[in-house]
Amino acid sequence: MSENSKKFTILAVDDTPENLDVVKGILAQNYVVKVAINGPMALKIAEKQRPDLILLDVMMPGMDGHEVCRRLKSNPETSDVPVIFLTAMDQTSDEAHGFSLGAADYIAKPVNPPILKARVETHLALKESMDELQKAYGIIKGQKDRMEDELNIGRDIQMSMLPLEFPAFPERKEFDIQALLKPAREVGGDFYDFFFINDDEICLVVGDVSGKGVPAALFMAVTKTMIKTRAMDDPSPASIITRVNDEMSEDNPSSMFVTLFLAICNVRSGACRYTNAGHNPPYIMRYSGGRECLDQRHGPIIGAVEELAYKESATTLSAGDSLLIFTDGVTEAMDVDGALYSESRLEQLLDENNFNTAEDLVNETLASVESFASGAEQADDITILAFHVEQEPVQLQQLDIVIEPDFKEIERVNRALEKFAGENGIPDDIAAKVSIAIDDLVNNIIAYGLDDKVKHSIKINFRFSENQLIIEIIDGGMPFNPFESVNVDTTSSVEDREIGGLGRLLVKELMHDVSYQRLKEQNVARLLMNIPA
Amino acid sequence: MEISIRETGGVSVMDFTGNLDTNTSPAAESEVTRLLDGGSNKILFNFLDLNYISSSGLRILLATAKKMRTSSGKMMVCNLNETVQEVFDISGFAAILELASNEEEALAAF
Repeated sequence: MSENSKKFTILAVDDTPENLDVVKGILAQNYVVKVAINGPMALKIAEKQRPDLILLDVMMPGMDGHEVCRRLKSNPETSDVPVIFLTAMDQTSDEAHGFSLGAADYIAKPVNPPILKARVETHLALKESMDELQKAYGIIKGQKDRMEDELNIGRDIQMSMLPLEFPAFPERKEFDIQALLKPAREVGGDFYDFFFINDDEICLVVGDVSGKGVPAALFMAVTKTMIKTRAMDDPSPASIITRVNDEMSEDNPSSMFVTLFLAICNVRSGACRYTNAGHNPPYIMRYSGGRECLDQRHGPIIGAVEELAYKESATTLSAGDSLLIFTDGVTEAMDVDGALYSESRLEQLLDENNFNTAEDLVNETLASVESFASGAEQADDITILAFHVEQEPVQLQQLDIVIEPDFKEIERVNRALEKFAGENGIPDDIAAKVSIAIDDLVNNIIAYGLDDKVKHSIKINFRFSENQLIIEIIDGGMPFNPFESVNVDTTSSVEDREIGGLGRLLVKELMHDVSYQRLKEQNVARLLMNIPA
Repeated sequence: MEISIRETGGVSVMDFTGNLDTNTSPAAESEVTRLLDGGSNKILFNFLDLNYISSSGLRILLATAKKMRTSSGKMMVCNLNETVQEVFDISGFAAILELASNEEEALAAF
């Protein structure tokens, strides 16, 4: 210790001056030694002079060593000064009491000089290491606080970019939109946006930026602004995303990226085009009770690879349908055991409930995720956006027919459709196309879907509202997608031409939209025709 | 659906009324077979009053066209309404069958 440039200060406390002299004699060469002859004096000196170590006699008149130690330890100014008891007593019970008060060590009197030197040296070294640790901890904590400050600034930027006022378009009665972003404490970078690009078309965006803090927030802000700017003069999701990706990946030194789902929906016709760039597939809940997963991938995450042409898909949202877009904070929410909320839990929630407003859909989804997590810390931002097309119950006309799986029954459907079309002013050519589609679909269902020797009836539901005719054909046969593998060479000559698959091709091409799903052990084929005003 | 058949200048003209689909195609097929068996090798499908045609109807047309090729006969289709024309376009039949916009034009082409 003598080679150490810093000279430590030791406070020796004993009511017998001779004892103090002994201690001084042993330590004075290497340390500054202060002395006190009773408890109150020891406390005063300890607080004022901040010794590096205290040698404390236990047996003293008035305030004894134990009490002095207790007070030293309860005073934050002196609590971390190591205390070594010096005592003639060597009962272990007494030592145990001393340790319980926070003493660092015991030395028996009369003191053995080498032992005293060695113990003092050891405890001073320990104290020094401790101080260094404290200092390091202080630095780390300071950095952590700064990081949290930065995260908070990032969070503020993020939240300030979102449209937060709902109802967002109180004057529009034909649809309803709701969104929320529940930020995680640290990781984040989610965002959502929605805005009209013209009188009828609304653009819906949900994204998830990699990274956190201010850089992620700025990346998100740039992405969001760029999307909006592009969307205002370019009504194609694929083209918007392609251009945004080019700009974002061109100058991206931090290699950040964003997953994105962007849809443009016509609130009058229900026509909806969308592009998914590496984002979670959204869901459509049909008024009829069906659920569809928009699981097409149109390209990778944004900001990674330049000069990629993104694609887009189309669907139609009809009265009563809802579109649910979300981030992985929903499906990857964890409970206390680390299990994920998962797509299957979300799908179950969507299948088992009817949500009549966008607000219900958003709130119930969040409630379901939160009840699953049941207090586990939220690891990632949760973003949920719902778009709901309002029903027009007064204008909705319905026709439901149940037929036996017999070709002859198609005639009955056609007659019913003819009457329904006449009553509702559905144009003849639309009705004719629907007849062709039903003819071919029912044919296929009877031929391929029902060959399990069980008699299944086929349900055909027509729904007509102002500008749309929706037909659902439902059967309980084995899983059969009538729109799959339509692969017909329509260019070969009469000799080479085969007839197979033509029906399915006709249905797909004649209808404005078709979809299929397997739902509750049933095949549900859905056809949609837009009726020109 | 109704099918009536008449002979005009050596051409068998089949006038279709209604729909040519799963339920009516078998009748159309037997009419065509009857004509072919009777030695007709010029057939005109007149769709003036045809409402629509489904893939079952297309099947009959394709089968007839194939038979005509082997027997060096000729078949034509005329008077397609918009829906039928669309079906022909989608299926590629517009390119492989001989079409005429009306009966007069069709007969002149035989």
